Amino acid sequence: MGARSTVSILCSLVLLTACGTVDEVRSARLEQATEFNQRGQRAFQRGEYQAAATLYEQALQIDVAIENESGIAINTLNLARVNQVLGKTALAQRLLDHLLEDKALRYAPAHLAEAAAQKALLRLQENDTAGAALWADKAGAYCESDCRIAGVIDNVRAGIALRANDADKALQLSERALSANSDVPLERANALRLMASAKLIKNEAAAALSLAEEALVIDKSLGLPEKIRQDLLLSAQAHEKLGQAELAVQCRDRAARIAATALK
Amino acid sequence: MKLPNYNQRLLSMETRTKRFMLGAVAVMLLVLAMIAAKQDYFSRSTAIYFFTPNAQGLSKGMAVKFIGFKVGSVKEINMEPNATVRVKVSLDDEYVHLIGQDAKARLVKEALVGESVVEIIPGSQQVRQVSQNSVLEFERGQDASTVVENLASQLQPILSDIHQITSSGDIQQTLKNLNQASGTFRQTVNEYTQLGANGNKAMEHINSSMETLDKAIPKLVDKADATLDNVQAATADIKKITSDSAGEIPSLVRNANALVQDGQETLGGVKRSWLLNSLFTAPEEQSLPVDGYVAPTQP
Repeated sequence: MGARSTVSILCSLVLLTACGTVDEVRSARLEQATEFNQRGQRAFQRGEYQAAATLYEQALQIDVAIENESGIAINTLNLARVNQVLGKTALAQRLLDHLLEDKALRYAPAHLAEAAAQKALLRLQENDTAGAALWADKAGAYCESDCRIAGVIDNVRAGIALRANDADKALQLSERALSANSDVPLERANALRLMASAKLIKNEAAAALSLAEEALVIDKSLGLPEKIRQDLLLSAQAHEKLGQAELAVQCRDRAARIAATALK
Repeated sequence: MKLPNYNQRLLSMETRTKRFMLGAVAVMLLVLAMIAAKQDYFSRSTAIYFFTPNAQGLSKGMAVKFIGFKVGSVKEINMEPNATVRVKVSLDDEYVHLIGQDAKARLVKEALVGESVVEIIPGSQQVRQVSQNSVLEFERGQDASTVVENLASQLQPILSDIHQITSSGDIQQTLKNLNQASGTFRQTVNEYTQLGANGNKAMEHINSSMETLDKAIPKLVDKADATLDNVQAATADIKKITSDSAGEIPSLVRNANALVQDGQETLGGVKRSWLLNSLFTAPEEQSLPVDGYVAPTQP
């Protein structure tokens, strides 16, 4: 058999194999759950949190019905997050507990790490620093070598250190978070804000102002009203410490205007 | 010169040419067979006819459908000596027993922008089935543009009626008369209460007002009757249009829906095809990013 024939046969085989390639079969139910999930994502991005919660619930219901473990974990996490934003922290905790204490289904460690990190954040929101530290450690334990939320966990730990007025530890953790989250603007801004707070505690107002302004630029680009308000309040504190009372008032006024819109 | 070697190469070339020719003939035969199969040469069929005043919208090869299934195709369209059009339709034999002699052929559009097909409207079950050279009655179904045109032409007189009613002054005049009569009556009552002693004068006013009312009321009733007649006529026209279009509009909507569904399925198929599937990644459920910041209670 000549070389040309061999090549022809090989090419034909490759073509036949390619034609025979079949996409992963996705059931109509799974596609429906995906659609609800994506609509929920869009609603969340637009700040329509109640609508997002309803859509995630619908996606979760389908995922439970078809026992799609990944979908169950994702939509439970999303529902917990959305309820946290809506101020329903008890419900958010219960949802996370369902996920973390589920003995029947096995979820991916990455999802469990996210659940534990969210749990830590909820504990911190209720000023339970000990509980928050415990869940942050659990999140770290679930996190494997290529854990994508390692930077988030560092930010959570920095937040815990700030509550304990440990500025040095907070600064160290948030700086680590900053380098770990170089490609995640949301967490980069969070790290900058935490660093600014730590600098304020250390009476380094000029540095704090610069960090808060850097965070403000990112938060404005992300369109996050509550974060923009926090950045402005930090800037106001820094201006006050620098003796710039007028600028501090301006920042507080800007923050108050954002708060008046009641958008999160 | 190496003659034996040359002869050997010549022989080899001849063999390869023969193989190539044989292959080409085989491919040609295969293509011919496929065309023949497509043209229904291998399936037994029954020819039936229908006649129509003009051939507009009809074409050779057009699909013939029965309850949504393709059961044949238009084979010939010929003009008869009496200037009518004779259409020959070939029906697959396996469906012929379902079509009675009293069935009708109707030219319809499959969707708002779909292609036209000849649809066989089933006749009575008891009647004998069609046979070779049977002739069916033919009618044209209304397409979207015809329905819209009909609707527009029927709405035109109604709109004119409504315009006439509102602009003729009947309604305005009626209201003006009522206003005038009630004004006079109110004035009379006032005078009556104020001038209790001067009863005669007031009574005269009341009498004159009553006379005005007596004159006005029959006119008002007549005008109200005329107005009501006009409104009734308009309502009857609207009812007629609605009932005339009722049969067509749901099918149009259904067809449009089917068209959209077809489009979605086609797009889905294209997306899944081997050449393009790498360009369209299947969407997956996504989780919201964890927000690792909790605002201090008193910032």
